[in-house]
Amino acid sequence: MAAPVRLAALTQLRCAVFQTSYNPTSARTGAKYLRARLRGPAMNSYYPQTLDLSQIAREFPELDIVNPDEEQRFQDVEDKKKRGKGKPKKARDAAQGRRQSRKK
Amino acid sequence: MPNIRVLRDIKARELVRANEVARRAYLYVARNQSLPPQVRHQAQLQLNTFSRYTRPTTVKNRCIETGRGRGIIGEFGLCRFQFRQKALRGELNGVQKASW
Repeated sequence: MAAPVRLAALTQLRCAVFQTSYNPTSARTGAKYLRARLRGPAMNSYYPQTLDLSQIAREFPELDIVNPDEEQRFQDVEDKKKRGKGKPKKARDAAQGRRQSRKK
Repeated sequence: MPNIRVLRDIKARELVRANEVARRAYLYVARNQSLPPQVRHQAQLQLNTFSRYTRPTTVKNRCIETGRGRGIIGEFGLCRFQFRQKALRGELNGVQKASW
């Protein structure tokens, strides 16, 4: 049976030979956060690229691109307004606000 | 057009990628027991100032067709129903309905 001192010396020598760090007390060095590979690039490529018409229209206003979904949305808002389902009127002052009266 | 949850997830993925190196550096300092406690504490406080979306654990794999968050089959990135439909249509290579 080898003495603990001899075993420690053996470990130290082994670390020197194989170029690993000698850490007999197993103190945390945080090295695993530096050693781990970066996950961001792989994470970023999960969703396939989609064609965003409104973004293209914003970048190239001279092309006059019409986004049918957006046109449909404007039409829906107009239709709702006609049926009295538009956005509520803004309160003139704080006293008129619906939220103010509800709190009391 | 992806729904809001997918857009939020895309934003989180972008932020994780942008802040990954800085977060790793702070993590290294905060978790390193050979450094003085004050320095480690400062690093931990810095880590807490990052937005919630810079943490890799906030990223969730959602269905790339419908944006559904549950029942995702990881290999295809599809929720179970989209997976079934696509497989039956023969759009997934190497997938066929079991029969014996």
